[in-house]
Amino acid sequence: MNWLSKPVRGLLLDITGVLYNSGEGDGVAIASSIEAVKRLQASDLKIRFVSNESSNTRAKLAAKLGRLGFEIQEEQLFTPAPAAASYLRQHGLRPHLLVHPGVQDEFAEFDMTDPNCVVMGDAEREFTYQNLNTAFQLLIKLDRPQLITLGYGKYYMETDGLKLDVGAYAKALEYACDIQSLVIGKPNAEYFSAAVADMQLTIDETVMIGDDILSDIGGAQKAGLRGVQVRTGKWRPQWENHPIVTPDGIVDNLAEAVNLLLAQNAA
Amino acid sequence: MTLKKKLAVLIDLSGTIHIEDCAIKGAIEAIGRLRANPRVRMRFVTNTTKESIGRLHSRLQKIGFDIAKHEIFTSMSAARRLVENERLRPMLLLEDVALEDFEGIDTTNPNAVVIGLAPSQFYAERMNEAFRLVLDGAKLIAIHKARYFKSADGMALGPGPFVQALEFATDTKATVVGKPESAFFHMALQSLMDEESAEEISAEDAVMIGDDARDDVQGALDAGMKAILVKTGKYRDGDERKITGDPPALDSIVDAVDYIERLIDNS
Repeated sequence: MNWLSKPVRGLLLDITGVLYNSGEGDGVAIASSIEAVKRLQASDLKIRFVSNESSNTRAKLAAKLGRLGFEIQEEQLFTPAPAAASYLRQHGLRPHLLVHPGVQDEFAEFDMTDPNCVVMGDAEREFTYQNLNTAFQLLIKLDRPQLITLGYGKYYMETDGLKLDVGAYAKALEYACDIQSLVIGKPNAEYFSAAVADMQLTIDETVMIGDDILSDIGGAQKAGLRGVQVRTGKWRPQWENHPIVTPDGIVDNLAEAVNLLLAQNAA
Repeated sequence: MTLKKKLAVLIDLSGTIHIEDCAIKGAIEAIGRLRANPRVRMRFVTNTTKESIGRLHSRLQKIGFDIAKHEIFTSMSAARRLVENERLRPMLLLEDVALEDFEGIDTTNPNAVVIGLAPSQFYAERMNEAFRLVLDGAKLIAIHKARYFKSADGMALGPGPFVQALEFATDTKATVVGKPESAFFHMALQSLMDEESAEEISAEDAVMIGDDARDDVQGALDAGMKAILVKTGKYRDGDERKITGDPPALDSIVDAVDYIERLIDNS
C-alpha cells in the first residue's frame, strides 16, 4: 500500500469515528479499536490523538476515553484549546473567552483584563446574543480585530439533534466585523504540523488516520502528511472515488491500519 | 374623455419626511398636497425589523402627519406578503413588538424561517431549531442583513450575522425582503393596487422619494421605477454620484413634491 512505502515513526489519530461513535452518554467504542490502541501503545511508535473537541479539557477527554476502554495519556491528546493557549503565549495575547465552561481551565494562565483578541470554541449554551455581542463590541474596538476559533465546524450531531458548531457563530462575527478568523484545529495545516512537532518527529515520518475525508485526510495531506481513511464513523462508500481527496490508503478500520503497519515495521 | 393614468408615489420615512420626532420642514404640508391630488396614490415604505406598523403609525401621527395605517409598507409587510404568496408557515425569529405584523399567520409545523433583529431569540437552542428547519429545506427569509446598528450602549449586532451563520451552516442563501431588493418595491406597489382596488399601475408610473442613495434611489431605479434623491437625513455631499441612472437630487421632500406636480401637469 502507498502509505507504507516510506517508514512510519508516528501516527496522528482522529478520535470520534475512529476510536468510538458518539451516542448516548460517552458513546460506543469501536471494539477492534480498543485492541488496536493497546498494540500501538506497546509499540515504539509515537501517537497523538488529534481532535477538534473544544468543550472538554484534555483531562476530562482522557477520562471519558478511559471509560470507553482506551488507555490514553492526557499528553497524547492534541486538542485546539491547548494549541490556542500556546499561540496566545507566543504572541503575548490577552484573550476574551467565548468557550464552553468545561474548557476554560486550559486558559487559566492568561490575564483577561483589557483583552486584545477573542477566542471562540463550541460554547453551546453560552452562545447567546449577549455573549456574542460582548465579543463583537470588543472586536470592533480593536485596531486589528483578531478572532481565534477552536475548530470551524458547521454543525454536529448530538443525541437530541443537530447543533450549530463554532464555525457558524464564527462566521457571524466575521460578517459583523468584516474579518477572517484564525482557525486552530483541523483541517488547518499548521494544526497538523504542531501535532507532529509535539511528537518531535517530522511530517515525512508521520501518518494521519481519520474518518472525515476533507477535514482529516485532505487537511493532513495539505500539511504534507500521508492520510489514511477508515471505513468507520462518517465514512461514505462514494468516497472510494472522492472528487477532491484521494487518500494515501483506505482501510476497514483502525485495527486493519495497525495490523498492516506493525507487520511492516516488524519485517 | 379618457381617465388619466394614476401615479404611485413611494416615500421613505426616516430622513425623508421626519427625523426622530420632528417633521422635515414643510413635509406635513407637502404630503397634504400629494394627498389632495386625484392622480396620486401613496405608500410610505421603510426598512424595519423591530417596529410594528402600529407603532410607526402612531409615531407619525404624533408628529402631525395625516397618514393611514394601511399606507405604510415595511420590510416586515414584504416578508408577510412573501409568506402569504407562497403559503408558508414560518417560524418567526422576531421580537414580540414585531409579531403583531404577522397576526393570523399559521406558524404550526413550520416550513420557513423569518429572521429579523431579535436579540431575545438569538440563543443557541432557538438558533439550532431554526438551523434544523432550514437544513430540512425550510425557506430562509431575512427582513434585512444589517451587520450592526447604533444602540444606547454602543454598537450592537444586527440580524445580518445571525442570517450569515444559518446560511453558512446550511449552504443556502437567504431571501432578503427589504429595500433595496427589487421585489420590495414591486410588493409595495402591489399592496397599493390591492388595497385601493385601483387600476394597474406599472413600475414606470411609480416614483420613489428617499434620502438613501443605495437603498431608496438605486433600489427603485433597478426595480424599473423613477426615483428622487432628497438631500436630508443621511444624505452626504456627492451621494448622487454613487447612483447609476442620473435621477434628480433635490433639497427636500417639498421640492420633490413640486417636481411630481410638474410631472403630472406636463403629462
